[in-house]
Amino acid sequence: MIQTQDLACTICKTSMYIEDLYCPECGYPEKGTEREVALYHARRAMQKNQNMGADKKIKSARNILYVMAGIVLVFGFFGFFEDEDVGILITNAILGVIYLLLGAWTSKKPLAALLLGLFLYLTTVIISAIFDPSTVLRGIIFKIIITVYLGVGVYSASSIKK
Amino acid sequence: MSIICSSCNVEIYREVKFCTRCGKQLHKSTVDKRTSSLNLIIVFYATFLLFAVVSYLLYNEYPLNLSVDIAIESVFALMVVGFSLFDYKEILKLYKIPKLNKKVLGFSIVFPLFSAVVVSLSIGYLNESLFGVNENYYSEYLYLDYPLLWAILFTAILPPIFEELGFRGFLFNSLQKVVSERITIVATAFIFALIHFSFISFIWIFPFGLILGYIRSKYNTLWYGIIIHFIHNFVVLMIDYYNFNYSFF
Repeated sequence: MIQTQDLACTICKTSMYIEDLYCPECGYPEKGTEREVALYHARRAMQKNQNMGADKKIKSARNILYVMAGIVLVFGFFGFFEDEDVGILITNAILGVIYLLLGAWTSKKPLAALLLGLFLYLTTVIISAIFDPSTVLRGIIFKIIITVYLGVGVYSASSIKK
Repeated sequence: MSIICSSCNVEIYREVKFCTRCGKQLHKSTVDKRTSSLNLIIVFYATFLLFAVVSYLLYNEYPLNLSVDIAIESVFALMVVGFSLFDYKEILKLYKIPKLNKKVLGFSIVFPLFSAVVVSLSIGYLNESLFGVNENYYSEYLYLDYPLLWAILFTAILPPIFEELGFRGFLFNSLQKVVSERITIVATAFIFALIHFSFISFIWIFPFGLILGYIRSKYNTLWYGIIIHFIHNFVVLMIDYYNFNYSFF
């Protein structure tokens, strides 16, 4: 077998053996027909597009976390000033801070931050349902939207993680 | 080492991502593997939430009922063991008795004594002043013949065994396949704090979970976690027992 490492892939510059028809790293058809090359580029473009879409979805999910932080904090203060309920104020302050921290963490570790954000959100829904079963159906459409956005964010983050 | 391409059957003598003969992508991509672990984690948590709702409804419907208590505990145990079966080979390794490390063992005994006293005093005070509730783990079992024994079984023995298996065992291993070791420790501690259903308690359960996760990660065993968890719960229960008997009457 003749092996020279002088050859490199046109696209990703990975060194190739002379008998290789395709790049072992990116799959570029080094000796392929025009059609194969076109197919390769089409596939690459699609993947890039997917990655850009994933970035957008992660950002939307992060914004949801910030919105949740805002809502929770506002309700906490509202409960405190209307009913002088210190318990609600402290609970919601802790919850709001956790949402804020997870939102900020999303830019560094999107997968972990969004997964924990999703679990946190689902848990709050369940806790309020336990305290007051009538809350389950209240704003059910918003609940589904928030869950879907966070879930999509989690899987998008997973798809572009290296 | 060589790989055989599944599409054109050519043998390749090096590590490649694409077959150099036919261009087929080899290896199941890491994204696919990660997705299946992620699915399992989400299903595990969703199942747990469903379990929490059902058990809460049952407690409300049948208060002070031993068979309901036992049924709920058994369902939780079955749930955790069931999920652990997905990864039983790796999880069984965590039950090997570790080489005796006096330092860690000493820490596992002293730390929970300290944490139990601090938590019992501060959280008891917080709950009473903020919400006007005084939760006592012991008094919940007074309707039974041997309340202390049942309380020890249900709060000090069973939770450490099955929560450690569920969170430091199954969940920890699944998260390791999705995120880095450090983030796994943080995420399991976070989820462990969430399932206690109290955002006030989050303040101490999260760091408690970080310590349990760190020890699990460093020594690859569940035993230290079980010891810490058991002593902590046991001491909290004993403080409640003392409070009940000496300040109630």
